[in-house]
Amino acid sequence: MDKLGQEWVSAAVDGETDEHALAELAADEGSHRQWRDYHMIGDAMRGELPKSINLDLSASIADAIDKEPRIIAPARRVDSKKPELAIGGFANVIPMFKQFGQYAIAASVALFAVVGVQNYSQQSAIDVSPLPVLNTRPLVGSVTPVSLQTGPVQASQSLSNVQVMEQRQRINAYIQDHMLQQRLNNGAKIDDNSKLDSNLADH
Amino acid sequence: MRLILLALLVFNSPVIAQEDLSAKAWLDNMSQALREQEFKMSLIQLQADHIRPLVYIHGKIEDQEVAFLEHLNGPPKNAVRVGTTVTFIEHDQPAYSVRANRIQGILPPAFAADISKLESGYQFVLGGRSRLAGRPSQLVRIIPKDNFRYGYQVWLDMESYLPLRYDMLTQDKQLLEQILVVELLVLDAPPAILIEAYKQDWPAVASQSKRDVGDNWTFNWLPEGFEILVKDSHRLMGSHEAVEYIALSDGMANISVYVARVGDTKMPEELVTRNGLSLATEVVGNFEVVAVGKVPTETLTRIAKSIGIQ
Repeated sequence: MDKLGQEWVSAAVDGETDEHALAELAADEGSHRQWRDYHMIGDAMRGELPKSINLDLSASIADAIDKEPRIIAPARRVDSKKPELAIGGFANVIPMFKQFGQYAIAASVALFAVVGVQNYSQQSAIDVSPLPVLNTRPLVGSVTPVSLQTGPVQASQSLSNVQVMEQRQRINAYIQDHMLQQRLNNGAKIDDNSKLDSNLADH
Repeated sequence: MRLILLALLVFNSPVIAQEDLSAKAWLDNMSQALREQEFKMSLIQLQADHIRPLVYIHGKIEDQEVAFLEHLNGPPKNAVRVGTTVTFIEHDQPAYSVRANRIQGILPPAFAADISKLESGYQFVLGGRSRLAGRPSQLVRIIPKDNFRYGYQVWLDMESYLPLRYDMLTQDKQLLEQILVVELLVLDAPPAILIEAYKQDWPAVASQSKRDVGDNWTFNWLPEGFEILVKDSHRLMGSHEAVEYIALSDGMANISVYVARVGDTKMPEELVTRNGLSLATEVVGNFEVVAVGKVPTETLTRIAKSIGIQ
């Protein structure tokens, strides 16, 4: 720990050295401790010391860096999907209904159906209350009040509560199915077209 | 090179040409834009008292249309289309694919198809101009030629011809459904998410070959322009009721007609929901005919009454 070296480090701490000197300092392990000490003295003089001082900071950081998992560039993805393959894919289609049943799709259209049925209003309610709108229970637990328009519901006066529920279930089933068919039928149209196209291509 | 310059000139002068574009030409341009342009739309869908924010991204990759639709509120609900395969990705079930040329659920698929197919049931009328999503736009009305269906209005961006607003209206101009674009970004290249979607392996297309061929149902009356799309017999999803099924469409409106044995509980003769979906029931002997669709109930009742076996 020679005097010269100390001055050196001191100058570096004050930012009075050139880059070359700094690099040399970085290479000299013995000076690192001094570097830290000088900085700490400076901090203490300025009253900037943290509450607890971990004196072995540099070592623990070096340690942490060593432990850091190495970043490896991900292997380039091999893109196997070529246009021809995509078209060929239609040939070995898996029957959807076998795979996970029709309920899966039904569930997906249920949300739409809910919108549909809760606005259904009942003629019979008029007999009971001057405000039929408030009497209608929404089918699926939402509280949307009803009625843009009330269709004449025949003989609904004779329906019991259970029957009303059953009727709503049936309505819901029809509306759900309608929504589902919108998704499926769109494809049916294409099938016809593609047949047409392939016919045209043959000739 | 000259050809390219010429082509550029043609493309650069639509503003002048727009003055004498017919309503049909506007819609044709929209159809082409929806199929060929690359864009990202943020939009809200209003249905009765439901408001859904959505994002729709469309682009072309290796000559295939790729589109992505995302519901922004609530549980994740997305749809991806690559070519003619639409995959629905929803939180509560495995993803599944169907064959379709548009993603169902926002704009009518007919908007991106051959507009002249709509001409038998609707006429197209140019309306005024207004500003939507910060862009000047042109209104085109799609007016039904009779009282058997609802009317539509669409506002088109004057620059890109992409739709900025879409309304579905009853005959007395009550709003049933609205789609409002809040931000439209026309892109030069397909966005990364579409490229990713294109590379992804999606579930195989659901086979429709399992559909049983239904009886030979026919209608002795249908509104002008309506055609039978599909006939089959299947079971209703929720109730497992066996039904004969016929799908009708005039391009814009889709109607499902079901024939089933009369159930234990009666179906209502007519009912209308606030988003325009209606249902009508007609009992014929031991059978009941149920018609569902976004058309006035009178239409459904009349269609249900006119069904018969060939």
